[in-house]
Amino acid sequence: MKTALAVCAVVLCAVPFVGLPAFYESFLYLLLSAIVLATSWNLLSGYSGYFSFGHGAFFGVGVYTTAALAGKLGWPFLWTLPLAALAATVLGVALGAVVFRVRALRGELFALLSLAITFVLSTIALNTVDGGPGIQVMVDMPKIAPTASGVLYLLMLAAAALTLWTAYAMYHSRFGTGLFAIHDDEDVAEVMGVPTYRFKLAAFAISCALAGLAGGIHAIFVSYVTVAETFSIALAVNVVLMSALGGTRHWLGPAVGAIAITMLLYAFTSGNAAVVGRALSGLILIVVIVAMPAGILGQILKRFRREPPARPRPEAILTDLHHAKKSGEPLLVVRGVAKAFKGVQALAGVDLDIRRGEILGLVGPNGSGKSTLINVVSGHYAVDRGSIRFEGEELVGTPAHRIARAGIARTYQIPRPFQQLTVLQNIALRPMFGQVVMDRASAEAEAWRWLEFTNLADKAYRYPGELNLHQRKFLELARALASRPRLLFLDEVLSGLTPAEMDGALRLIRAIRDQGATIVFVEHVMRAVMEVTDRVAVLTYGRAIAEGAPAEVMRHPDVVSAYLGAAHV
Amino acid sequence: MPSATLLGQSVLSGVFIGALYGLLGLGLSLSWGMLRQVNLAHFALAFLGAYVTFQLAAVAKIDPFVTLAIVAPAFFVLGMALHWFFLRFSVTLLNTLLVTFGITSIIEAGIQWYWTADFHRMENAYAAVRWKLGPLFLALTDVITLGFALALALGAWAVLRFTDLGKAIRATTEDAPIAAAFGVNEKLLGFLVSGFAASVAAVAGLCLALNHTLAPVQIYAWMGVVFAAVMMGGLGRPIGPLVAGIVIGVSEAVTMAVTNPTWAPLVSFSLLIVILLLRPARFS
Amino acid sequence: MKIDRRRALAAGGALLSAMALPGVLRAQGKPIRIGSTLPLTGPLASLAIIHKVTAEICVENLNKRGGLLGRPVEWVLRDDQSKPELTRTLYEQLITADTVDLIQSPYATASILAAMGVAQRYNKVLLHTSFGIPKLAKYDMQFQTAGSPFDPENVWPNHIFDAAAKLPKPPKTIAIVTSKFPSVHAISVGAREVMKKRGLTEVLHLEYEFGNRDYGAIASRVKEANPDFLWGGTNGIDPVLMLEAMKKIDYRPPAQAHLFPAPGPMLKLPEAQGALALTTFESHAPFTDDPVIAQFVKTYGERAQQAGIPYTSVDLQSAIMYASWQVLESAVTATKSLDDKTIGAWLKKNEVKTLFGTLRWNGPQNYVEGADLYKVKQLQQGKWVVVHPTQWAAPGAKLT
Repeated sequence: MKTALAVCAVVLCAVPFVGLPAFYESFLYLLLSAIVLATSWNLLSGYSGYFSFGHGAFFGVGVYTTAALAGKLGWPFLWTLPLAALAATVLGVALGAVVFRVRALRGELFALLSLAITFVLSTIALNTVDGGPGIQVMVDMPKIAPTASGVLYLLMLAAAALTLWTAYAMYHSRFGTGLFAIHDDEDVAEVMGVPTYRFKLAAFAISCALAGLAGGIHAIFVSYVTVAETFSIALAVNVVLMSALGGTRHWLGPAVGAIAITMLLYAFTSGNAAVVGRALSGLILIVVIVAMPAGILGQILKRFRREPPARPRPEAILTDLHHAKKSGEPLLVVRGVAKAFKGVQALAGVDLDIRRGEILGLVGPNGSGKSTLINVVSGHYAVDRGSIRFEGEELVGTPAHRIARAGIARTYQIPRPFQQLTVLQNIALRPMFGQVVMDRASAEAEAWRWLEFTNLADKAYRYPGELNLHQRKFLELARALASRPRLLFLDEVLSGLTPAEMDGALRLIRAIRDQGATIVFVEHVMRAVMEVTDRVAVLTYGRAIAEGAPAEVMRHPDVVSAYLGAAHV
Repeated sequence: MPSATLLGQSVLSGVFIGALYGLLGLGLSLSWGMLRQVNLAHFALAFLGAYVTFQLAAVAKIDPFVTLAIVAPAFFVLGMALHWFFLRFSVTLLNTLLVTFGITSIIEAGIQWYWTADFHRMENAYAAVRWKLGPLFLALTDVITLGFALALALGAWAVLRFTDLGKAIRATTEDAPIAAAFGVNEKLLGFLVSGFAASVAAVAGLCLALNHTLAPVQIYAWMGVVFAAVMMGGLGRPIGPLVAGIVIGVSEAVTMAVTNPTWAPLVSFSLLIVILLLRPARFS
Repeated sequence: MKIDRRRALAAGGALLSAMALPGVLRAQGKPIRIGSTLPLTGPLASLAIIHKVTAEICVENLNKRGGLLGRPVEWVLRDDQSKPELTRTLYEQLITADTVDLIQSPYATASILAAMGVAQRYNKVLLHTSFGIPKLAKYDMQFQTAGSPFDPENVWPNHIFDAAAKLPKPPKTIAIVTSKFPSVHAISVGAREVMKKRGLTEVLHLEYEFGNRDYGAIASRVKEANPDFLWGGTNGIDPVLMLEAMKKIDYRPPAQAHLFPAPGPMLKLPEAQGALALTTFESHAPFTDDPVIAQFVKTYGERAQQAGIPYTSVDLQSAIMYASWQVLESAVTATKSLDDKTIGAWLKKNEVKTLFGTLRWNGPQNYVEGADLYKVKQLQQGKWVVVHPTQWAAPGAKLT
C-alpha cells in the first residue's frame, strides 16, 4: 500500500518534466483545484453536517489576498500563499466563533449565514481592494518546473496532497469521529464528551484555510481577478455537488466527485456541441446520482463492504479506573436545583444526595422531573438556579463535555445512538472523549469489552438501525459504560423489555455497581426498583419528597398519596 | 439627505422586487420545508415559464395573463412528475440538490437552444400603465407582481392554517408515519404540494416576463438572494420568503437611495446576519 | 472628403469583386488551422453567438477567395463557458495539443487576458476583439482589432461629449450612473475628469454593482437630480433596466448616453429614443458603400435570423470580429508566412484597412494614444445611426 502511494507520488510529481503539452498540466491543475475545494468543504460540511454555502467567500478571500499582495504590492507570490490561507482562516474563525456559540443556529441557518457572508465579502472587495477594474496579477514564477503551467500544477498538487492527507487524518482520528457524531446528534455528542464547539471551529478553520490556499494559487492561474468572477455562487454550489456526487461520508468521496464533475465539464467544450453538451452533462449527473444514491465512492464501498474478521476476544483487562471504594460518602450533592421550560416548572428546588457505591432508585409519577434532573446533571440543559457538586466540584455552568470527562454518564430513555456510526464506533466514542482520553485503537479495545459485557459482540459492525429495541437499549447501556463512569444515570432502561430480558439487565446493573460505579436508577417497574436498589428517592412536581430505604420510602404517606392520591379507604 | 418622495419611491421599489423574491421563493420554500426536496430547478422552471409566456404573447399574440391558464396547469403536472421521480428513486435531501441541478442545466440548455442566449423582452400593453399615489408612482406590472405574491403566500398560509388539507400537510411534514396512521395520504399530499410549487413558478415566470428582460444566464442571478430569503423566512412557511424578500429588497433600495448604490448588498446581507445572530430562535 | 472616401471604398470594393469573380480560386493543400474560444455557454453567451456567426461567414468567404496562402482555412472553436480559467486551459490545448497554426480572439477582457498569458508563453500573436482595459495589455505581440485608443477613459468621453454638444440643446449638467463592471467603470472615471475640463457640472454620481436587479432607487435619484444629460456607464441590458425603472416613475432623461448597450432591447423602448452610444460600425452608408461589406451585412442578416438571434443587424460586436479576420488575412497575405514573429513585426509597422477604418499599432503597447476608430451612434425612431463624427455619419443624419 505504501509503495503504491510512493509510486503515485513520484509519477504525479514527474508530470511537468515529461514534456507533455502544457494543456495537460493546466487541465490537471483544474482537476486538483476542484479536489482541494470539494475535499476542504467536506471537512466541515460533510463530516459534521454543517452545510456551508459560503465556501466561495473564503476562496475569494484567498484570491484577493494574493492578488492584492502580489499583483498590487509586488510581493513574491509564494509568500502570499500562507497569508491567503491565514486571511481565510481568521475570517472563518471569527465567523465560527460567533455562530457556533448560538445553539439554535443549526442546519439551514448556518447555510444562510455562510451564503450571506459571500455577498458581504464580495461587496467589500468590490468597493475597497478591487475598486472596480479588477486586479492584474502578473508575477514571476519560481523555476521549479519547465513551464508556468507546470509550476502551478505542482503548487496545486502540493495543496491537494495536503488537503487529502488532512482529510484522511481527520477521518481516522478521534477528531473525525467526534465530527461524525456531531453530524448525527450534536446534543448527545456533547453529552458524550465531544467538545462540539471546539471541534466545529477547528474543522471550519481548516476548511477555510485550504480554500484560501487554493484561492491564492488560483489568482496566479487566471492572472486577472474580478469580483464577479471570484465570488460567484457557482463555486458554492459546485463543491456541494462534487462532494455529494462522490460521497460525503468518506474522506476520499469529494475527490472522486470533483474528478467526475471536472471531467464532465471538460468533455463538452467543442465549439459545435456546446449547448447540447450542457444538457447532456445535466442528464448524466441525474442518472449517476439516481443510480448511486450514496455517492459514487459511497456506493462502491457499500458494494464491496466486507465484514472485518471477528476480532479475537481481547483479554479482559480489569484495570480499575475507579477510586478506592469508600461507600457511603456523598458523591453527588444536589441543592435547590430549579429548571423551568416556558412556564412549566420541571424542577422546583430539588435537594438530593447520592452516595458513593450505591444504587439509588429515582422514582416518581410521570412528569415529576426525573428525566429533567438527569438532563441538568449531565449538562444537557442549564439550570435556572441551584448547585450540583460532584466530588466537591461545582458542575453548574460547566459545558456538558467536561461533565462527561469528569465521569458522569447517562442513558437516554428513547435510545439515541449515532445512526451513521457502527455499533462499535458508537461505543468507542465515549472512551475517546472520556475521563481518560484514549486514542482510537485503545478506545476500540475498550469498546469490545463492553460489547461482550452486553452481549452485542456479534453486532459490532452493524448500524443501530439494524438492531431491535432490546439491543438498542443495551447499546445505550454499553455506550454509557464504556467510559467507566463514576456516576451512571440509567433512564428507564427496562421499559419495553420482557421479564426474562429484565432479569438479565438487573444482573448487569449489579455487576456494574460491583465494578465500582455509582448508579442512579430511574424506573417505573417497581419490582426492579425494590429488588436492586440500596436506597430510593421520590420526586413529585419537581421536588424530592422522600429519600431512604426502599421499603420505608414506598410506605411513606406522602409517597403513597403522590402515586395513588388520597386514601379513601 | 434624500427627499421623502425619493425615499418613498425607493421603498416601494424595494417592496416590489422583494415581492418577486417572495414569489420565486414560495415554491422553493414549500418543497424544501414540506417535502424535504431542495428544488434548485425552481428557478429554471420559472424562467421557462417566462420564456413560454413570452413566446405565446409575442408570437401567438395571446394576452400574457391568458397564457397563465395554459402554463400554470402544465407546470402543475411538471411538478407532480418531478415529485414522482423523487419518490420513485427515493432521492435523499442532498441528492435532490444534485438532481435538480442537472435538471437546471437541461432546462437552461433547452432555453438557449430554442431562444438563443440573446436578450428577449416581452412587449405588452400593461408595461405602460401606471398610477399616481400622492407623489409616488405605482406601475401596473409591479402591482400585479405584488398582488400575486401576496395572494399566493397568504392563500397558502390560510390553507395550511385553517383547512383540513393544510393540517394534514403540516402533520405529514412533522411526522409522516404517525400522520399516516391517522389516515393522511402522504403521497397524494406530496403531489399536491409539488404541483402547487411548480405552478407558483409559472406565476413567477409571468411576472418575470412582464417586468424584466430575459436571458438564460438570469436563472443563476436570482439564486443567491432567493435562497437567502427562503432560509431567512423559514422553510415551509409561505409568508416567510415574502417578508424576508421584502426586507432584503427594501434595505437594498434604501441604501441605494441614501448612499452609493454599490454598497447595497453589504447592507442587506449584514442586516440578515445581525438578525440571525440576535434572534435565531425565531427561524428554526 | 466624404465623397473621396466613399469613392475610394467603392473603387476598392469593385477591385476586390473583380478579383473574386472570374473562376473561384480553389484553396488546396493542408488546411491552415486557426484556433480560438468563445463563451458559447454561460453569462457572456449572448455576445458569443454574434461573434460565432460572424467568424463563420469570414472563414467561408476566406475559403471562397482561395483561403490563406492558397490553403483552406479551418477554424477550431471551443467553448470556454465564460470562465477565464477554462480559456487559459483551452488555449493551451489549442496551441500545445491541437497545434493550431494561429490563434484568434476570445471574448471580453478577462478571457483575453487569460489567452494573452498563454500567447506570451508560446510566442504566438494574439489578435483580440474586445479588450476593455488597454493599459493591462502588456504582451508585446497582442494586437487589438476593435480600434480602441490607448486611453479610452479620455478619448471616449470626449467623443460622447462632442456629440452631445451638437444636440439641439447642448447639456450643461450631467448625472453619472455607472456599473462597476471593470471596463465601463474605468471609462466613467475618466468621464468625470473630462467633464471638469469641459466645464460641465456633475450633479449626481452613482455606482452600482454589475448584476443589480432593482433600479428603482437609482431612477428616483436621477429624476430628483434633474440633469440635462444622463451618462450611463453601462453595458448589456442595464440601460434597458434603468430606463424601464425611470418609465415607471414617469421620468425620461432629456438626453443620455450609454457606453455599450445591447442594441436590440432598446429599439422599441420610447424612453430610449435619442440615446447615444459608442460603436465602430453600423449597417448603413458610408460603411456599406463597399459592396463586399454590403454583402456581408446581408449574409449576416440571413444567418442571424436562421440562428434565432433577435437583432440581425451588423454592428459593433460583429464588426470587431470581422475586422479581426481582415487583419489576420492581411498580415498573413502580406508576409506570406504563418510565423507569429514575422506577423507581429509586420503588424507593428503597417496598417490594415477594415470595414470601419484603418487600424494601426504603432503607439504604446501596440495601441494608439489619443485616437481611435470609434464613433457615436444615436437611436432614432427605432434604428441606430451613426451621428458623429460627420464623415462616418449616416447620410442626412442629425443629432436629435
